[in-house]
Amino acid sequence: MEIKTRIIGKYFSAFLLFLFSATKVFAQISPGNLTYYHAKYEGLSNCTLCHVLGKQIENSRCLSCHTEINSLISQDKGYHASPEVKNKDCWSCHGEHHGRDFRIINFNPKEFDHEVTGFKLDGKHSRIDCIECHRSKFISNPELKERKSTYLGLDKNCITCHEDPHQNTLGTNCSSCHNTEKFKPAANFDHNKTNFILTGAHEKVECSKCHITEKRNRQDFQKFVGLQFSNCTPCHRDVHQKKFGENCKKCHTDVSFKLIKTNSFDHDLTNYPLRGLHVEVSCKNCHGKDLNSRPKHDECVDCHRDYHKGQFTKNNIVTDCSKCHTVEGFKLTTYTIEMHNKTEFELTGSHLAVSCKSCHYAVDSWQFEKIGLKCIDCHKNVHGTELTNQFLPDNKCTVCHSIEGWQKISFDHDKTKFKLLGKHLTVECRACHYTKTHGGLSEGLRRRLAKARSCGEESIFRSLNSDCETCHKDVHYGQFAKGKITDCQRCHGFENWTTTTFDHNRTSFHLTGAHKKLGCVKCHKVVTVNGNTFVKYKLENFKCESCHSS
Amino acid sequence: MNKKLHAIYIGLFIFVGVTSTLLLAIDGYQYYTTPLVNRFFNPQDSLLNPSGLIGHGLGIVGSLMMIVGVAIYMIRKRVRAFLHWGYLKNWLELHIFLCTLGPIFVLFHTAFKFGGIVAVSFWSMTAVVLSGVIGRFIYVQIPRTIQGQMIGIEELNGINQQLSKRLREEFSVNENLISKIEEASRFAKPQKENLRNSISFMLKDSIRIRRILKNIKKESKAASVPSKEIREIQNTAKSKMILARRVRLLSTMQRFFRHWHIVHLPFAILMFFIMFIHIAVAIVFGYRWIF
Repeated sequence: MEIKTRIIGKYFSAFLLFLFSATKVFAQISPGNLTYYHAKYEGLSNCTLCHVLGKQIENSRCLSCHTEINSLISQDKGYHASPEVKNKDCWSCHGEHHGRDFRIINFNPKEFDHEVTGFKLDGKHSRIDCIECHRSKFISNPELKERKSTYLGLDKNCITCHEDPHQNTLGTNCSSCHNTEKFKPAANFDHNKTNFILTGAHEKVECSKCHITEKRNRQDFQKFVGLQFSNCTPCHRDVHQKKFGENCKKCHTDVSFKLIKTNSFDHDLTNYPLRGLHVEVSCKNCHGKDLNSRPKHDECVDCHRDYHKGQFTKNNIVTDCSKCHTVEGFKLTTYTIEMHNKTEFELTGSHLAVSCKSCHYAVDSWQFEKIGLKCIDCHKNVHGTELTNQFLPDNKCTVCHSIEGWQKISFDHDKTKFKLLGKHLTVECRACHYTKTHGGLSEGLRRRLAKARSCGEESIFRSLNSDCETCHKDVHYGQFAKGKITDCQRCHGFENWTTTTFDHNRTSFHLTGAHKKLGCVKCHKVVTVNGNTFVKYKLENFKCESCHSS
Repeated sequence: MNKKLHAIYIGLFIFVGVTSTLLLAIDGYQYYTTPLVNRFFNPQDSLLNPSGLIGHGLGIVGSLMMIVGVAIYMIRKRVRAFLHWGYLKNWLELHIFLCTLGPIFVLFHTAFKFGGIVAVSFWSMTAVVLSGVIGRFIYVQIPRTIQGQMIGIEELNGINQQLSKRLREEFSVNENLISKIEEASRFAKPQKENLRNSISFMLKDSIRIRRILKNIKKESKAASVPSKEIREIQNTAKSKMILARRVRLLSTMQRFFRHWHIVHLPFAILMFFIMFIHIAVAIVFGYRWIF
């Protein structure tokens, strides 16, 4: 029995030895395996790498190895320098002895408040995976770069992760122009804070129009600095080829190149200085609505309508308006009488006083061509058919009238059938020929003239009879008529009405005796017949008692 | 200690033990069932991890309970001056209580994380506890006086006869049944059995005793014996049959008990040895709980 007990005791002692040896090999004082990251520090001799005797664990031990964290804390940067972490014990977040696979960095990307690191995630940063930024290629620190996964080593500068398309020409403060939502457009950029404030059309133009993309360092490079903008020509072509100097703004605005500062634009610098009414004319009238027209200006018709509709165009050669007109006004003309006199129709006499319009304006337009050279081309033949070709040959008024004046007539009445004699030589033509003459006219003439007037004729010639009664009133009321015609010349002459060639002795009653001495009225009494009062010269009988009473 | 006081004594142990265990298990269930690699992030970690306020406290209290539990029992048992300090049985019960609940506290102190050198201590502790349970079983199999001294075979025979007498005189049990009980509890000479045969015998004997007790109940009922009396008959018969079994296995159990000592004590020593190292290391590194 005791022997067996001893045997069992031996086996048990061996078992205990095994346990001790196993303890040395496998089990340690360590309360558990270190994580993968600290696995190399397993072993009794390494406890004090982290632990401080009598003081559990002190941060200084952790930070003596994790110098990168220590450095960040001392620089007050990063998550470990944030208020919520800074005064905490390392072990309160980073436990150990929980096995190889223990997440010593208990990081939940979905719950992590990135703002505590000093870099708030907003915009697109808030939507992308951590690995998009926290990757080796963005880390500059060689030691950190070698780590399989780390959230350290990134700088807050954008260029840490992003390429600088501006190739370091605009500094490193990307956020002054860009936000984290989109690189383009540069939402934070305010061009008005630059030295070139965008106004007018510049506000609407695409950036790339001015900030052209070129190749620099074999990469596309959009130029934002170093642009010359003291004047416009670095970007805009000088269509005037420096003719107007380099200060485009003197004439143009940035609203539109075509919008000209008309007040300040000096047209005299052009080939066509503005004079006269051109000064007042709107630019658009010549240069079009958009002022993009560069009109010819050699001839007036380059801008102006040929008011005369080609009347001065001969052999396709346009006579320039300036020959007759000036820029002071179209109605004013420089066309002189002398110039007119060089034409086929020389202006003389009254024509000198006549306005141009009188001859050259017909109906509603000016006529300068083929208006005729004859009087009748301008003047109305007021005589109508009263003048035969004998007295108005080829409608040539000057046969009778003078250009000096219509009233000035040089007509030889003797060429007519009615030679003017005596008093007729002193009588005005109108007294007999003018239809509006009334006084002293015979009844027949009065009717004739009335008829002519009704036909629009002012004067009558051909239709005017040579009978005295045509013009004169028969004061004898037909007492001496033969037939229906009374020939006044039988008794009266042209010199004077009262002068008579009447010889009483050639009548049926010869004056003799006392009759010779008697006044006419002794025998020829004034009578009134049919309302007409006249001296009755034609007595019915010559009996004595007819005159003498018994 | 009378029977009632003993029942309170034991009941208190059970109540404290079960309640403490349940409270710790229920309160820490969520934490303790969390995988080890994730526990650090559990809100209860700062309380329940081995260096936490509760976890560390459990380790200290549990260790003290074991130290005290072992110390007082050993002192009572081995120091002559204390030989008359109460019944050894009651000290053993206190020892069992402290050295059961203590390891349970330590178990919760470990947060069910077993590793490192202290794991040896833990498993040693486990071995001590399990061997304690087995030892307790073997201890019970060996009839003792209330002072814990082994009872000889002659005395056991006398007890057996007293029980037979009681069956005949105090209870109205018919002869047929008495003869069956006597047959079942016939004293056999203590025999040397190996472990397997012993266990096999005990299992078979237990089944047999249960069958006989059932039969007693059935026949007593048929004979219109009151229920209370039936229970007493059964208890007396059971004591008689168990006594007979223990007599048969007495030498075997005595042999096992000697071997058990060889296991139970060294494991306890080993456990304490490493435990002290563990405690020393913890203190050296500054883990002093609330102190």
